[in-house]
Amino acid sequence: MTPHQGQRFELREHTADIAVEAAGNTLEDVFAAVAEGLAAASCDETPDASGDRFSLSVTAESREALLFDYLDDLIYLRDVRVELPVDHRVETISHSDDADETACWTLEASARGVPLAEIDAREVKAVTYSEMRLERVDDEWEAYVVFDV
Amino acid sequence: MSDSTFDADGITLEQVREYVWEIPQEGDMRTPARVLASEALLEEIKEDKTLQQLKNTTHLPGITKHAICMPDGHQGYGFPVGGVGALDAENGCISPGAVGYDINCGVRMMKTNLTYDDLKGRETELVDSLFANVPSGLGGGGIVESGVDTVDEILARGVDWALENSYAVEDDLRHCEDEGTREEADPSKISQKAKDRGKNQIGSLGSGNHFLEVQRVTDVFHDEVGSAYGLEKDQIVVLIHCGSRGLGHQTCNDYLRKIEKQHQGLLNTLPDKELAAAPAGSQLAEDYYGAMNAAINFAWVNRQLIMHRTREVFERVFDQSWEDMEMDLLYDVAHNIAKKEVHDVDGEKRELYVHRKGATRAFPAGHPEVPKAYRDVGQPVIIPGSMGTGSYVLRGGENSMELTFGSTAHGAGRLMSRTQAKSEYWGGDVQDELEEQDQIYVKAQSGATVAEEAPGVYKDVDEVVRISDELGIGDKVARTFPVCNIKG
Repeated sequence: MTPHQGQRFELREHTADIAVEAAGNTLEDVFAAVAEGLAAASCDETPDASGDRFSLSVTAESREALLFDYLDDLIYLRDVRVELPVDHRVETISHSDDADETACWTLEASARGVPLAEIDAREVKAVTYSEMRLERVDDEWEAYVVFDV
Repeated sequence: MSDSTFDADGITLEQVREYVWEIPQEGDMRTPARVLASEALLEEIKEDKTLQQLKNTTHLPGITKHAICMPDGHQGYGFPVGGVGALDAENGCISPGAVGYDINCGVRMMKTNLTYDDLKGRETELVDSLFANVPSGLGGGGIVESGVDTVDEILARGVDWALENSYAVEDDLRHCEDEGTREEADPSKISQKAKDRGKNQIGSLGSGNHFLEVQRVTDVFHDEVGSAYGLEKDQIVVLIHCGSRGLGHQTCNDYLRKIEKQHQGLLNTLPDKELAAAPAGSQLAEDYYGAMNAAINFAWVNRQLIMHRTREVFERVFDQSWEDMEMDLLYDVAHNIAKKEVHDVDGEKRELYVHRKGATRAFPAGHPEVPKAYRDVGQPVIIPGSMGTGSYVLRGGENSMELTFGSTAHGAGRLMSRTQAKSEYWGGDVQDELEEQDQIYVKAQSGATVAEEAPGVYKDVDEVVRISDELGIGDKVARTFPVCNIKG
């Protein structure tokens, strides 16, 4: 679960829950880095080759909402596929100015689903908006997300 | 107001009376905020963002009297854990964020007529059998594998569904809040996504701080109430702590996002987006209330199924029927919930959405909403400690209606973050120490969970309960000590 070049994340202290602080060269990178943080918060070690890749696409009305819905979808897919999504790739994030305002941000991503039966994973219950930060600082994107454990 | 103050790094609390502290109203706060704690507990509470989150809660429209932090309070997301906020049901709002993700996360205690001597020597067999038979962890499935139709029935009917399907007896319903069914539940307000997550998890513990623990009663402090609850020294009891699983988590997020889209104006007035609330009387407030009540039913059934499975395990291990072992439900309490309740506010009866986030309802003797079985003594309140310390049974105290909208604490309260816990403890060492020093047998899906839940990461449950007892919001009845613990 090593993040790809241009992405990094750290798990941060939170009394009851867990926070992920992430950075990336692009918006796609920082989204994928937060997703890697979510996987790391769920499991210390995952096998390198196990599981198949799957795709997901998410639409939302703002950048922050897109990050929230992306992470919410990954947690949903974990429960219904009974797999932990790892090795995250966010292929594109696009923004359409003239689209319907309720869904003008779109994300296309993929991940590898490691069967939960093969790993020692803990449950992250949900993504939260609490203290969420997503912003451009100098030449890169930074994010901070608290997850309910 | 007393002259005594407590400085919590920029937030000053004024002492109202012993163990009652107030953060005065300022800026956009709609009311003051109160913390119920000793100075020792305040020293711990001030270390994270609990007090700022409590102040933020007072920005919610319709907040009544004050937002309150229980003695076990700690930082959560939006609303602090250990928080109680009563919001006017006519002119205020209801906040999914303030209820939390794990709707009706709660605790139930089942009694037995076994004593510690009956169990000694069989701890390993019992913990192994419980661990093998009660689904826990991530992806461990549930006791009932079903389709969405069954999920809908459970959401609508709660423990009544379990009764019809032979997972419960009538007596279980009589010893559960609302007899295990919220009639205002509306399954159609729960999304397909939430139902899809829930259908594989009906009857499962999950992970994190959720657990099933076999305990022995070590002390009975109050003979009359102890007797009314059927608790005696050395008796074996079983405590089950879990909630509404992925179905509840998804429901909370679904409604946070709906509020963000439909009530942006209200949201913009709040200092933390996680406090997202729907105005009372709006369609969304009605929809959320119906969905939340349905998720409450789901969580009750979840705990009921685990209790049913535990009865079966005990039957095999002790070779007796569960009825012969008198494995009866003492009570089931919810920790994360918002309920429409009528409270006396400055001499006037008002209907309020009482949000309890990591707090327990603690109605006193005589209250009409206390089940008949306990109306003369007050409702049982179950306060789990960590897996290395005692848990408590309290009864709703006579001051709870005046001080806390009928509420008290819900546990020991975390002190240390999970990341720090994992760097300080090793799961295997924690398990060995508990077994060798305290004869507590722990079995978990994940060693990391054991480290994250090590006894040292929690506040002193004795002190939390002492404050509840001294304030008369929840009175000490009995104390228990762990014997076997299983977790995810």
